[in-house]
Amino acid sequence: MIEAEVERAPSSWRPSHGTDVDVVVIGGGVNGTGVARDATLRGLKVALFERNDLAFGASGNSSGMIHGGARYLTSDPTVTEKSCRDSGHIQAIAPHLLFRIPFLMPIERGRYSRLWINLVEGFFEAYDPYQHLKRGKLHTRLTADEVAQVEPGIVGDIEGALTFDEWGIDGARLCLANALDAEARGAKLFVGFTVEGIERRDDTGEVVAVVYRDRLTGQRGRLTTSAVVNATGAWSPITASLSGLPAAKARVRPGKGIHVVYDRRLTNYAITCTAIDGRQIFLEPWQNMTVVGTTDDDYYGDLDEVRATSEEVRYLVQGVARVFPDVRKGRVIGTYAGVRPTLYAYGKLEDKLSREHAIVDHAKDGAPGLYSMLGGKLASYRIFAEEMTDVLAARYRLSVRCATHIRPLPGGERVVDALVLAQRTHVDPVAARRLVYRHGAGAERILERLKARPRERVTVCVCEPVLEAEVRHVLREEHARTVEQVARRTRLGLGPCGGMRCAARCGQLVAEEHGLSPEEGRRDALRFLRKQARTRAPGLGPEQARQEAITLAAIRAELGVMEEP
Amino acid sequence: MKAGPLVVVGAGVAGTAAAWIARREGREVLVLDGGLGASGLGGGAVDDVPWEEIVRGERALGAAAPASPLDGLVRAFVDDLGLWSVPAERRVLLATTAGRARPARGADRALLDLAALMRGARIGLPRVDRAGWDAESLARALGDERSVRARSFELKPIDAVLVRRRGEEVFPDAERAALADDPAHLGWLAERIGEAVARTPVDAVLVGPWLGLDAERATELSRRVGIPVGEALSATSSTAGLRFERARDRLLARVGAKVRRARLTRLDAHAGRFELELSDGTVPLAAEAVVLAVGGLAGGGLVYAPAERNAGRDLPSRARVPFALSFDADLSLRGLGHALDVGGSLHGPDLDEGLWPTGDRASALERVGLAANPADGLRAVGDVVEGRPRTLLASIASALASTA
Repeated sequence: MIEAEVERAPSSWRPSHGTDVDVVVIGGGVNGTGVARDATLRGLKVALFERNDLAFGASGNSSGMIHGGARYLTSDPTVTEKSCRDSGHIQAIAPHLLFRIPFLMPIERGRYSRLWINLVEGFFEAYDPYQHLKRGKLHTRLTADEVAQVEPGIVGDIEGALTFDEWGIDGARLCLANALDAEARGAKLFVGFTVEGIERRDDTGEVVAVVYRDRLTGQRGRLTTSAVVNATGAWSPITASLSGLPAAKARVRPGKGIHVVYDRRLTNYAITCTAIDGRQIFLEPWQNMTVVGTTDDDYYGDLDEVRATSEEVRYLVQGVARVFPDVRKGRVIGTYAGVRPTLYAYGKLEDKLSREHAIVDHAKDGAPGLYSMLGGKLASYRIFAEEMTDVLAARYRLSVRCATHIRPLPGGERVVDALVLAQRTHVDPVAARRLVYRHGAGAERILERLKARPRERVTVCVCEPVLEAEVRHVLREEHARTVEQVARRTRLGLGPCGGMRCAARCGQLVAEEHGLSPEEGRRDALRFLRKQARTRAPGLGPEQARQEAITLAAIRAELGVMEEP
Repeated sequence: MKAGPLVVVGAGVAGTAAAWIARREGREVLVLDGGLGASGLGGGAVDDVPWEEIVRGERALGAAAPASPLDGLVRAFVDDLGLWSVPAERRVLLATTAGRARPARGADRALLDLAALMRGARIGLPRVDRAGWDAESLARALGDERSVRARSFELKPIDAVLVRRRGEEVFPDAERAALADDPAHLGWLAERIGEAVARTPVDAVLVGPWLGLDAERATELSRRVGIPVGEALSATSSTAGLRFERARDRLLARVGAKVRRARLTRLDAHAGRFELELSDGTVPLAAEAVVLAVGGLAGGGLVYAPAERNAGRDLPSRARVPFALSFDADLSLRGLGHALDVGGSLHGPDLDEGLWPTGDRASALERVGLAANPADGLRAVGDVVEGRPRTLLASIASALASTA
């Protein structure tokens, strides 16, 4: 058994020759945390650096799906098979984090629509044999009347529709689960720490250390290592350049994608639609909301400040409204944006770029020990991490094989019944259900806190809802140091009220758990509120505009909205 | 403004003040109450200028900013409404449930005025098991406030059982407040707070927004306990807003203003007379003078109405001004530094920036509004007037000037 092999890796075993760690992983997205987990499972000593927050970039701002790779079906079915198999693996190791998203693809009636729907059905027939790998349901073909029954909001003259099955996931929780598991196995996590330099030997060019700075306190440090994995997604060229290599040695083609968030689930199915330029876009029920996505545009701006614009929002809404016009009546409560680290190619349209991934061994550039992980997507993170860790294992001559597809992620060890848990611990059942979604079996441990501190049963964020116990837990155990980071981990403050009811309280909890002054906690809450308001602005509609005005008035009255000198 | 029947559209603070002054002048008044607005959502602070500006000014000056006496008419209205305490020569200091101690010109009488307490006063905060009220955190946050430290107040969490029956702990704040309107419950509350204070001596007690929907409940409670007992300001609970609505109803009845619960749907002007269509389907009203006190975006008098809202499969049917009144009228809104007219995009305006205030610049949503005097015989008062964020006293002042 592979399991046994892992256990046999002696804990005292040290491949490192006097270095602080064996591997420094830079980047707290899904690839970086995935490598950190895999490497620790194989016995390596790992440090993970993340300059903003875990899942801050593309990983936490994706469409939130574990695709089966249907788009490769015609070009390279082995990729589809691999993707579906891995989707199954992710379900097995983190069953709590996945939820089914049935898709519906309406086919507009036209001159060749009869033929077209048959072709599309043929395509999904070819996809069906892979569905069992990820517990997916087989496709169905619906007539126009059947479509009107299952999804009455769909309009227009349609030939029919096809349904197929995919899985949704909270990308931020997936990163957290990987990072926390790595930490539990001895990795050191540096969240909110930026690497300022990758030191190399003058003679051989080998990597010897990284120097870093805590972005909150300004404190600097140095950590010796003999390998550095650059898993920084769209930031990859910047990270590579910290070692003295030209940035172009880890070149990507950054593609910005935005999503529009609605206050509730508007449909039963996710619906695929065609944008004005022929691109495929979609509307999906996702957790307790609806998400519309996505765009793909070359991006040259600041990666730390990526925001959706009103043009992008309107482009998406226009496309969805052709098929599902009621989307215009929905209440937009936010937008989010991320930048894909697509493999570099010049002269291709964004949509035609490969979603494949590649590992660059910078030994060829004269920097042995430095590796860059380029490209990739959320759904293939585990395989990508495995491939990267295989390279590391070879480097350290480890025979331990990858086990990330069978060893459960934290929370995935057991299935917990949220309602039973709610009854046993006297918490609100909806809050318990959401807690179990995010933490799986770990929810029990969080609610253990209530025995000694029954007060933490109170709901801090009413929209989601989020209990005080969970907020304190993520501040203590999940490397959250700001309200924004609590929001990424718990979805606190991301609902319709825009944080009006919870941001101030969360700021107090941040201050208490991290020994800050109440004023610092308050400023942090205001920073969160301001930032969220900016992400909501591009999608503003009538109802949310009134809520913004009410939120603003409430914040003004209770907290003060102007920055103090 | 002309004599004769006056229709006041809106029953918030500004509308109430406009109706009150018109009745004082002996005019016949009809108030249209369209339901909950910004006044009904208020937290109980009575501001003359945005309080952050006072704090900033005081910090720059190194001294307390002077409070100017209220204008005679404003004072008379405030006294007649009987809900707020606005000291003659000083500001009040309010604790908020978000943990701030903030100045205001006055406040709902149920709120605890920290500025009225002696230096070094011990303020007790009961530990109550409910969301939005954590005595320890609140004591810590308030204790850290400059104005609290300057007065050497001591904030002490105290043990008090303020939940009488199981299930009460999850009541919304306003419902909990309504319980205190029952004299028996108020007596019970006085006993419990009295016991707590006997165990841990304090000079005042600060509680959440739970002290009745009738302002005198807090006064009565303080009398029974023997020390000031008052609420912290909460802008999300609506307790203070409900108290305002009750005080308003009493005042309007007392001065003899008629009130009708309906929304204005259309306002037409011809030859100096107005015709108002209402949402209740009755015959249109005729009036010689109209005061628009419909509120801003928060109050519902203004709406954000981008054209794309009603677009079908393709372009919206017609271009629109992005902001509009909540009723049909031939009046144009202003603000945002330029005329608000049909924009350059059929797909609505670009609000990517300016939604949230920065520095001294108010939010776009706070700046849009009508001119104060949009037509002969027509006045706009309160939050519907364009400009900067309107405070409660500024709204009242504009309403009281409406018949001048």
